[in-house]
Amino acid sequence: MLKWLKQLDQILRGEATKPALLKDSQFDIPIAGLCVCLIILSAFFGACIGSFNLLHPLDKDAVLTFKDVWMQTVASAIKMPLLFTLTLLITLPSLYVFNAINGSRLSLMSVLRLLIASLGVLIAVLASLGPIIIFFSLCTTSYSFMQLLNVAVCTVSGSLGLAFLLRTLNRLILPQPQESPAMSAPKVPEITIPATLPDGTIPLRSLTGPLERTAPTDRKAKSIFRVWTIVFALVGAQMSWVLRPFIGSPHLPFEWLRHREGNFFMAVIQAIQNMFS
Amino acid sequence: MLLDRADQILRGYAGAADGRASKNQLAGILIVLFIFGCLYGAVMGLYSLIYGHRFLQLVYSATKVPLLLLASFGLSLPFFFVLNSLLGLRDDFFHSLRALLATQAGLTIILSSLSPLTLLWYISFDNYNSAILFNAVIFGCSSVLAQTILMNLLGPLIQKNQRHRITLLAWLIIYAFVGIQMSWILRPFIGDPKSPTHFFRQDAWGNAYIKLIQIITGLFSA
Repeated sequence: MLKWLKQLDQILRGEATKPALLKDSQFDIPIAGLCVCLIILSAFFGACIGSFNLLHPLDKDAVLTFKDVWMQTVASAIKMPLLFTLTLLITLPSLYVFNAINGSRLSLMSVLRLLIASLGVLIAVLASLGPIIIFFSLCTTSYSFMQLLNVAVCTVSGSLGLAFLLRTLNRLILPQPQESPAMSAPKVPEITIPATLPDGTIPLRSLTGPLERTAPTDRKAKSIFRVWTIVFALVGAQMSWVLRPFIGSPHLPFEWLRHREGNFFMAVIQAIQNMFS
Repeated sequence: MLLDRADQILRGYAGAADGRASKNQLAGILIVLFIFGCLYGAVMGLYSLIYGHRFLQLVYSATKVPLLLLASFGLSLPFFFVLNSLLGLRDDFFHSLRALLATQAGLTIILSSLSPLTLLWYISFDNYNSAILFNAVIFGCSSVLAQTILMNLLGPLIQKNQRHRITLLAWLIIYAFVGIQMSWILRPFIGDPKSPTHFFRQDAWGNAYIKLIQIITGLFSA
């Protein structure tokens, strides 16, 4: 378990995606353990979301029983990893195709690993915001507020995860500066790393993060991937709607899945209206 | 000893990355935060002692101020950690952590230094609402002042790497978001002399932002 967490940590710190490691245009990180780690973390976040009705005092007109609120917590913990797995399966083929169009030599397995690593970033951010969700669940009775808070949290996490994906793709596919000095467009200002830090220690690593821009990038390839990230975000949002309820309205009985109706974006607008009325 | 430490925090030595920085120092910062937080909390609670003759409220208020700061700090910390890692700032993480904690401690020191003003206000005006308002002003001013300490401590880091600015901004947003709600549910800090003494107010349990929206929509619908 500790080893798997370490793998996740390496992804977060950008050590798994250092430009030097990605030279062969292949992305080789061990993912089996990482997947277990991500399932646990996403289940944790699912439980954080699903415990809303468990943690806050219920209204008088709430229809939920004690068993229902527990079931919702368990159901959300199960459905959250499912949400990510399904989103992954749906978006993987298109990412592979878009890659191929952009002239990358990434194999399908590499694309899969890359996508899992990005989900790793996304889920790590989500899980780190879990305690805040629990805190607000404890003292909020407004269902709409929790809906919007969760949408905001997922948006932040999703943006960071996709930023990671885009940066890594750029590193994988687009020519590295040392390989093609001809392509020296305006460079990102270099950060000078002192040989010793003010406290006398020698910095162990360079200050390159996983979200760092590394090379001047090809515009067309970039815009293709940008479009793909929008697809990913839309799929994720709608998938979360299909798998709802995650939070569980206090005024509806517990169900594993709700009937097919409406869509994610209408629900968000509805939640905003509810909060302001 | 304690005042020495407090002085070091105010001058920005305590959170700085020099050879003396150690875990021991982190504990020192926490002690300062706790003691000065309790001090201002106690002064805040004096209102109910003066006008309601209740000592218990004073004790409650004293413990709540450090609780407010540390709980908000703890809840916001995981996200700050992940964000630091993602931006490649993990090596500086403990440095930033110390700087943020020292700023919190600095905030309590500033609050305590302003506490005589609060006391004067309490003695001059026997009005619960004005007491709340005055404390809000004091908290606001202290938070602004504490930013100076924060910038002193984080300035070198930001110079080294501009991305510290992003993590700092994210921290301030998350911390404020959590802190506002935390202070809402930890009410009463001052203690209305007309209502009985509570650690938590019975009806205080709720969401500050929802309350705010209700007040605003109430204004427009009226």
